Amino acid sequence: MDIIKWARIKSPWVFHFNAGGCNGCDIEVLASLIPRYDIERFGMILRGSPRHADVMLLTGTVTRQIKDRLIRIYEQMAEPKFVMAIGSCAMSGGVFQNCYSVYEGADKVIPVDVYVPGCPPRPQAIIDGAVKLLQKLAAGK
Amino acid sequence: MIIEILKLLIIPGIFFLFTLALFYQWLDRRFLARLQNRRGPMHTGSHGTLQPLADFIKLLAKEDIEPEAVDKPVFRGVPILLSTISITALFFIPIWGVKAFVHFEGDLIFMTFLMTLIAILAFLGGWSSTNRFSTIGGLRAAMQTLGYEVPLSLAFIGPAIVAKSLSISKIVEWQASTGIWAIILNPLGFGIAIIALLAELEKVPFDLPEAETELVAGWQTEFSGRKLALLRFAFDLELVLAAGLITSLFLGGPAGPFYNIPWVGVIWFFIKTTIVVLILSNLRGLFARFRIDQMVSGCWKYLVPLAIIQIIFLQLVLG
Repeated sequence: MDIIKWARIKSPWVFHFNAGGCNGCDIEVLASLIPRYDIERFGMILRGSPRHADVMLLTGTVTRQIKDRLIRIYEQMAEPKFVMAIGSCAMSGGVFQNCYSVYEGADKVIPVDVYVPGCPPRPQAIIDGAVKLLQKLAAGK
Repeated sequence: MIIEILKLLIIPGIFFLFTLALFYQWLDRRFLARLQNRRGPMHTGSHGTLQPLADFIKLLAKEDIEPEAVDKPVFRGVPILLSTISITALFFIPIWGVKAFVHFEGDLIFMTFLMTLIAILAFLGGWSSTNRFSTIGGLRAAMQTLGYEVPLSLAFIGPAIVAKSLSISKIVEWQASTGIWAIILNPLGFGIAIIALLAELEKVPFDLPEAETELVAGWQTEFSGRKLALLRFAFDLELVLAAGLITSLFLGGPAGPFYNIPWVGVIWFFIKTTIVVLILSNLRGLFARFRIDQMVSGCWKYLVPLAIIQIIFLQLVLG
């Protein structure tokens, strides 16, 4: 088995970017770090700096104002990098869908690998999304 | 000659230290997780034992970004120098017997010099990144050195006075031959050394240089890929160094029953350093972060006087 691929699957470090949501999803992201769910079991650590991280946990609506910052932060991450869009807002714009300032989903701005639906998604759903991302990594790419 | 090179590369040398460093990182993470009622890494190897290795390989294979504004020679040099200095310092710790791989009279002073160099490299790493978070983190690392350096050196003098030598190997030899561990005469010094080394390691109550809630990742913010892998490796080595130093200076190093038989000494060393690492991670789980002014003034107000009281006490006892 490819040792680099093994290492990549076993240690996906995450960092958290709020594009402008209501903080519901952010609380759920933080809840997946607490003792009850503890994503460190899968080797995921929450890092502060985008330079250190492999996976971006993107929450909230992507507005026209945040777009440039989001792209800049995304470009600051080192390859290989992945994006998880968490919550309805990051997936499709959610209830703000037809608003003049809102993009209908983060994938209009940056490439997204995994979508986690919910408003807000439960921590179990976030962990499930992370596992799906790891399976995608294991399958190929 | 060939045996010397093999020794350097494998058994008391680089490979052994690499394994030990990764093992202690795992131990630290698991123990901290258990203190916080979590599980810690579980699915990489048996109970997550291979987690630090996976992190290391992943970081080595990642893209290495060098921002345009960084001071390139220093930025590239810091991770390499940091890990080599940590390995060099570890060769002065007696692991496989009472004599270290490298030893000479006065290597305790050389050791404090190397530890200061490590802190200065942290400052240089932050400064050369030219990122505002890195700069503040680097300045804090330098500031913190002003706080803990003096009590740490004073705490190291205690065992040296007891053993009447400034060589780490001689101090261990004295403890092994007399059977008295220096902690019996230096209880205060032991506590001070633990606190100061926690600051040297930038662990939680003193993790101001990389305070993630304020400074993103402190002075390490701009490092990625291979450089970050080397930085993390250097910090793991420093954890081994801190535990090894405390063990050799205060807990008798590899001394214990039957330590003269090969392999027994290293088992004693291993047990003692494990206990020291557990103490360090316990303190890490117990406290919240101090402010930088609290840290520096606390060191000067409490740790330095206590260290001086410790030395006066030693002089009175030993006459």
